[in-house]
Amino acid sequence: MSEPRRPRTAAATTVAPTPPAQPAAPPRERPREARPFLLDFLPLEGEKETRLSRFYARLAGGRLSTTRCPAEGRLLWPPRTACPDCHREELEWVDLPEEGRIYAFSAVLAGAPLGMEADVPFSVGLVDLDGAPLRLFGRIEGRPWNELRVGGRVRVEPYATGDGRWFYRFRAVG
Amino acid sequence: MTPRSVAIVGGATTKFGVRPTTWTELAQEIGAALFRAVPSLRAEDVDSLFVGAAQPERFAFQSHAAPIVAEQMGIRPTRILQRNELACASGQSAIRSAYAAIAAGLSDVAVAVGLEKMNLPSIAEANAAMACVMDRAWDSLSGATAPSFFAMVAQRHMLEHGTTEEQLAAVSEKNHRFANTNPNSQFYEKTFSRDRLMRLPVVAPPLRLGDCSSMTDGAAAVLLVAEDAVGRFPDPPAWIRGTGQYSDFHSLANAGSLTSWPGLTHAAREAFRGAGIGVGDLDLAEVHDCFTISEIVEYEALGLCGPGEGGKFAADGRGDLGGDLAVNPRGGLLGCGHPLGATGVAQAVEVFQQFASRVPPSRQVPDPEWALVHNLSGSANVHSVMVYQRGGAA
Repeated sequence: MSEPRRPRTAAATTVAPTPPAQPAAPPRERPREARPFLLDFLPLEGEKETRLSRFYARLAGGRLSTTRCPAEGRLLWPPRTACPDCHREELEWVDLPEEGRIYAFSAVLAGAPLGMEADVPFSVGLVDLDGAPLRLFGRIEGRPWNELRVGGRVRVEPYATGDGRWFYRFRAVG
Repeated sequence: MTPRSVAIVGGATTKFGVRPTTWTELAQEIGAALFRAVPSLRAEDVDSLFVGAAQPERFAFQSHAAPIVAEQMGIRPTRILQRNELACASGQSAIRSAYAAIAAGLSDVAVAVGLEKMNLPSIAEANAAMACVMDRAWDSLSGATAPSFFAMVAQRHMLEHGTTEEQLAAVSEKNHRFANTNPNSQFYEKTFSRDRLMRLPVVAPPLRLGDCSSMTDGAAAVLLVAEDAVGRFPDPPAWIRGTGQYSDFHSLANAGSLTSWPGLTHAAREAFRGAGIGVGDLDLAEVHDCFTISEIVEYEALGLCGPGEGGKFAADGRGDLGGDLAVNPRGGLLGCGHPLGATGVAQAVEVFQQFASRVPPSRQVPDPEWALVHNLSGSANVHSVMVYQRGGAA
């Protein structure tokens, strides 16, 4: 139902424009019992709910992407529906590099928000993506917090939230 | 039109802490406290009310916050009634709006009140309310909480500048010590040595429990009037001489280096410009120590020391009473607790009471004339600054 999964490359990818002819992803089905969504931290991701549904559809296909303003070439994160500089509303989608390095991290050892209590302890961090001027925030999995380090390598990992929605996290590698 | 001069001529706070009372009861309590503190004030004198309340929708399931607070306080606004929401800076936002209204001639006598009820039966629910201060769809959902964000600030500050856990503890020890002079503080009569602070549990590495301000219930209010009404009140007025605010990002992806907060430097410069003074003229400062590392970065951004020198500034006692500048003599957010909407107003109450020599000698700054109040909000992406002068004439 989602866009085809693109094979991963070992090396960091550079930012490349999306072929303009590529069709939008079809709407993804959700399990009937998952509706209705109560308001939680995860946004509603479908085509009827957000103009950024392609971000989530691409994520379901294994690709982290964002919007770029074609007028200025500026990569925008989080993805947007209008450029904050020139206010153009026709933005293009581009894939982002799949690896990066930790700029800073910490861990939630106590005081987790509602719905995340069972995740404790979990690590979060800011990651500089290879070859792109973006520093993304997210969970960091794959290693206890006291074995992470600033400068350590991580890989972007799309994941299903279990109720039909998708987001990304990082996984420590190397 | 020349803006009118505006001063705070009275103020009060409730007890801060884990309070067995509701959000609306806190509004009644601070109303009673304000009218007790300013005996000459009649409810019908107050034409406008500004309510600093960060999240009553989540913490108390109450929207349309301003009119219910007015009713609870016994105030019937006839000119301006509004609620100010700016997360951790909601209280200062209320004061700034009251100031602007009076300066413009749209109000003559205004109350700025701040209140928050944060302790809920489910602490996870309260933590969720705090977490959605961040960008909910891109940061909060991954578990961006205030402790984990400011922990990253501390981590980078340690990495880049050699700041130590002991220097963080020095900030906490100072502010908890001051809180012991303030019966309304959450941690009144609780002693925290640097050694004890450094043995408390880690909440978000490298930050320990004592590095973090608390979930707190409480309220505070100030009375603001135009220059021609100042003489009706007995205490020396705290004149608002300058304000500044700066915000340039929200998503954590756009937070920059983390270790320097140029937004605070901009906001303070604007406030100092309005007042016609510099940081060296200050006698006291109430700054936003939501975390120990915050106060350290704020020393640097305000120009009290050079970049990266904030930790040493703290450990050397230069932000203490008798140091370069008395910072957070009230006890700070660390010692008083941090009821979001109330904090900025309670800081202004401290300035007013310092000017009136109404605080215990153990935290009284000698003969203060100039004071600065700073609040950050969110991920230090908004900085709000006010500069006060003890009156004197308008």
